[in-house]
Amino acid sequence: MDNIMISFDGVSKTYGHNPAIRNISFSIGKGEMSFLTGPSGAGKSTLLKLIYLAERPDSGTIFLDGMETEMVKESQVPWVRRKIGIVFQDFKLLPRTVFDNVALTLRIRWMHEDDVKPVVHETLKLVGLRHKADSYPAALSGGEQQRVVIARAIVGEPSVLLADEPTGNLDPDTAAGVMRVFREINARGTTILVATHNRELLKSTGNFIFRLDGGSLTEEMFQ
Amino acid sequence: MGGYHLKVAVSEMWRERWINLLSALSIAVGLFLIALAVLGVYNVKIVTKKLPERFSITVFLKDGLSASEVQEINRAIRKNPGVKTLTYTSKEDALKDLKATLLDSDYVMEGLEENPLPASIAVGLRRDSVTDSSVEALARKIEGLVGVSEVEYGKKLLRVIESVRKGSEFAGGFLISALSAALIFVCYSTVKILFYRKKEEIETLTLLGATRWFIRAPFLIEGGLIGLGGGVLSSLAIAAFVYAGYRKLAASVPLMGAFSMPPELLYWMPLTGLCLGVAGSLIAIGRIKF
Repeated sequence: MDNIMISFDGVSKTYGHNPAIRNISFSIGKGEMSFLTGPSGAGKSTLLKLIYLAERPDSGTIFLDGMETEMVKESQVPWVRRKIGIVFQDFKLLPRTVFDNVALTLRIRWMHEDDVKPVVHETLKLVGLRHKADSYPAALSGGEQQRVVIARAIVGEPSVLLADEPTGNLDPDTAAGVMRVFREINARGTTILVATHNRELLKSTGNFIFRLDGGSLTEEMFQ
Repeated sequence: MGGYHLKVAVSEMWRERWINLLSALSIAVGLFLIALAVLGVYNVKIVTKKLPERFSITVFLKDGLSASEVQEINRAIRKNPGVKTLTYTSKEDALKDLKATLLDSDYVMEGLEENPLPASIAVGLRRDSVTDSSVEALARKIEGLVGVSEVEYGKKLLRVIESVRKGSEFAGGFLISALSAALIFVCYSTVKILFYRKKEEIETLTLLGATRWFIRAPFLIEGGLIGLGGGVLSSLAIAAFVYAGYRKLAASVPLMGAFSMPPELLYWMPLTGLCLGVAGSLIAIGRIKF
């Protein structure tokens, strides 16, 4: 258990009468990079939401870094979320500069303003957007916006990085660039779970792949 | 970090400047009306306090009292904390005063074999002690003293003054409370609207791990600043009203000359606006679930 970062044990989640996740059990070790695949509506986003506590399971138990999420009180949720970096499918960028969007993660943690600047610039350099710090998201391309979201997710050095369709709207070259950034972050010890339906992305990843279909985990493979 | 929240609040206020400006103007109008109510109550209080300034209780003494008995009555009356001055008028002086008042009509005194007027003590009161109940209590107390035949005071006048003062305080208090509640509601509604307009941003902040107070702080500051802005505007308006408009009016209507304004009102209005703004925001952000 000490080496497990994410663990699902018989987890189910239903919206109304529609089951989104059915009795799922799996685990991801610390520092691993795994993929979650499956068609649209398979339950990938729901599974990620269960990890970052945007949803609670109807049954089963989820452990995150050794902590049972069901035991986390509402008031403690923000502190748990600070351990997780999230790359949202719909970006969720605020109408502020690229710098301010990325800095937000640190300001939420009450980091002193003098320390925020170098950390944000270093992270923007990692995703190749140092020169766009003063731009607004609306003025960036889809790929650049995606990299801002990644920068915002990793700037706080989370233990876990969850990415929901991070290459969904990107051309193959930009998607490859995003994956390169993920590998760099993973090499630093961050556990990563990428939800994607992009089969190209899964080729020769050398990582663990979970396949979801109709809310059930149908396949686990190491590719 | 407070600086960050202030920066966010100010930039958000600029982004939603029209709704914020309208709210600040509404607050300014409300606070201006509150200031007028305060001025009304304040001036009625001053006037009603000035009216009984020369108010006194007249204590009529029985005939034939010795000087030591009169002194004893004097001492007994002076023991009361509300008593400011005591002025003794002997029977003879009372008659002289009457004759001086009657002047050419003093023939009405002809035929009187003895002086019918009693000796009296005029009891001057401290301004704060001149209330309906306190004067009545004092009069009863004096009436019970040995050697006192009768006590007189302007009971009716006191009651009228008292009811005018109480009436103005009640009406002013009611108006101020109702307007304050309305202003809190203006801030409450504004902050609630601003909150809902930023619902998506707030959702993102919560997913990034922001605590409730991290999210609420800019709204609290925004509400406070709107209230403060409205307060400053109302102070400017009340200053313009008193120093420009009102003085012109006082020059032509003599009765208005006694009007005065406490200078503290000018900085109390922004402070009141700030407090009402913060109160409205607190209620709004406390009631919104996110």
